[in-house]
Amino acid sequence: MKGTVYLNDKTGVVVIGATGREASQVIKESEALYPGIVKAGITPGKGGSTELPVPVFDTLAEAVSDPKVGKLLNTALIYVPPVSVLDAVMECLDNGIKVLYIITEHVPIRDSEIIYQEKVRRGAIIVGGTSLGCFVPSVGRIGAIGGKDPSVAFRDGGIVVISKSGGLTVTTAEMFKRRGWGTYMALAIGGDIISNTTYSDVLKEIKGDPKVKGVVMLGEPGGSYEEQVADLITSGGFDKPVAAFISGRFQERMPEGVAFGHAGAIVERGMGKATDKISRLEAAGKKYPVKVAFYYHDLVKAIESLGVPRDFEDSTAEHVKPLYSTI
Amino acid sequence: MKLYEHEALGAIFKKYKIPVPRYVFATEMTDAVQQFVEKEAGVVVKSMVLVGKRGKAGAVKVVSDKTKVAEVVKDLATREVYGEKSIGALVEEKLDIEKEFYLSVTYSTKDRAPAIIFSEHGGMDVEEIDPKLIHTHIIQDVRSVYPYQIRQFLAGIGFSDKELLRPLSEVIVNIYNAFVGAECRLLEINPLVVARSGDKRKIVAADAVVILDDDASVNPAVVYGARSAQGRPMTQREQDAVLIDQGDHRGKAGSYVELDGDIAMMTFGGGGSTVTAETAIEAGLRIANLTDIGGNPPAEKMYRISRIILSKPGLKGVLVCGGTASNTRIDVTLGEGLAKALDDMNAEGKLDKNLVWVVRRSGPEYVKGLKMLHECFVRNGIRGEIYDSQLPITEAPIRLKELMIKHIGYKPEQVV
Repeated sequence: MKGTVYLNDKTGVVVIGATGREASQVIKESEALYPGIVKAGITPGKGGSTELPVPVFDTLAEAVSDPKVGKLLNTALIYVPPVSVLDAVMECLDNGIKVLYIITEHVPIRDSEIIYQEKVRRGAIIVGGTSLGCFVPSVGRIGAIGGKDPSVAFRDGGIVVISKSGGLTVTTAEMFKRRGWGTYMALAIGGDIISNTTYSDVLKEIKGDPKVKGVVMLGEPGGSYEEQVADLITSGGFDKPVAAFISGRFQERMPEGVAFGHAGAIVERGMGKATDKISRLEAAGKKYPVKVAFYYHDLVKAIESLGVPRDFEDSTAEHVKPLYSTI
Repeated sequence: MKLYEHEALGAIFKKYKIPVPRYVFATEMTDAVQQFVEKEAGVVVKSMVLVGKRGKAGAVKVVSDKTKVAEVVKDLATREVYGEKSIGALVEEKLDIEKEFYLSVTYSTKDRAPAIIFSEHGGMDVEEIDPKLIHTHIIQDVRSVYPYQIRQFLAGIGFSDKELLRPLSEVIVNIYNAFVGAECRLLEINPLVVARSGDKRKIVAADAVVILDDDASVNPAVVYGARSAQGRPMTQREQDAVLIDQGDHRGKAGSYVELDGDIAMMTFGGGGSTVTAETAIEAGLRIANLTDIGGNPPAEKMYRISRIILSKPGLKGVLVCGGTASNTRIDVTLGEGLAKALDDMNAEGKLDKNLVWVVRRSGPEYVKGLKMLHECFVRNGIRGEIYDSQLPITEAPIRLKELMIKHIGYKPEQVV
């Protein structure tokens, strides 16, 4: 198998909510760049439509029993509105789809919780909500990650980028590409409170993969998923180099907000704040190959100092000159 | 979104049968409040603010002398608590309290499940309770919780008051159902009290902290009215910015927040905006405003938000910063929208030429867009540097700091 459990050369994608504005654009773009990964789309009432480069069905049950594409479908990409996500997930799980991406943002937390409990019960892989998708340069992509011209940011290599933020996933791959490191896989896991795929979940999946040379993780305040990485590493669950950047230290100096009230802090004492996450990961770094970058752009130095080999030559000069200057 | 206590009592606790004290909400002393007070032996008056630790700020008062109630209500209904203006006062029956528990329900990301958190030692700030005396019960099946499960949990932690096992377990299930049914992120009652009523004992929620899920199936901002996450009313510019996105779903340009600094931040994309702001602050820049723009907004939206961002008094520098956009057109957003705002502001004499600018952006049509912006800088005498994605995104605020120190003698904040 080429690729990972999240995206590989056997991946066959069905898009749920396929004829919506964003989904149809993504299907067209993806088919132009990596033809054949998306196999079918579902939009109730639009079955038989020819507006997309893939067949459209009214229900997923029809798609999986279709003689041409049915057997090829194993991965779903969900683009329905927030209140319909739980329904879409259940439709996928009940029709035997085992890998799901929820691209939709703002899924109600209660629905996310029900989805997570179903995922565990059925042994499925679900990425998101708020995922931007997955990019494996040697295979292709799922979702909008990388836009129309992903070659700006992505080139095959040994780095795995895992990020809550979708935009930063691409920005980070691009920063590393300019400095000589290519991407093995970039996965935007989304920043929802109940996250179906966490950093640790990914690390457990890829730990035995020889193509993985190093991991770059981008974290945010709230929850304890970054802390769980520190626990995983210190308990011997992952031993490859990990460079981390945790944003949000500044929020701790801002007026009291409601984004992460003391609720999380009580259940998860000493966790949740950016500084807590940083100190936990730094503590792991005393014995294990883990480095926390102070500035986001220091991630490059962190990966370099952890001894992750470059995949190709550094293309950036030491001091970047502006395109234009009026000062 | 956080609710005021009286909102939580009226909208949620009542519906889910969580017992609460008799209460009345007042913005001033009225006949209705007077009548309420007459019937009670004593009352508790609380300021209605969103900020926590009201008791320590003197914003919760027990009043036994009924001649003093009017004065206390007037004070607590209007005072500022930790800088937040009270919107009224809650006047409650004074309970005969025997015991105080701590109870909350929230999501635990460790277990990826709802958690009921309970302590027999409530009443004080939860941070002050000995962690060994706080117990957590993880909900295995989010869709159904039964009182027997709660009794097993309570028995398992050595809960001391056997007589209360059944009534407490039933109240806790109601509280859990409120948490799930009302789509909360947090429902906290501190204290949950055991009160004497004649020769009976009853369990009563003597406080209510409710934070609703902003993404709930029914938008809480529609039900309760939008409120600033900073616990202060929105400024005029913030209100103006909100209007930009109303009635036009193309892109998002109106999430504008003001702070006290002197650097305007026009940033693009949630994650990129956060790390850029982060770096700016770590580098000692004082942020005047933050705007997270995304989703390919039209030039008109960019024009309006640009004018709002630049109209904040006291600015010294401007950072325009985003990653490599997937959809957002750089020629439209920066080359047309921002540039036209600068042209017009200059023509109106409203453009400060002393501002130092750094622009860092890439994405669709960025070559054209950045060139257009540069031409705008030249014709309006704007000073700064323009980069594409060769400059790592978070080096942009650092570059701005260097330019400001060099050209206008900016004194950055000393960050510890």
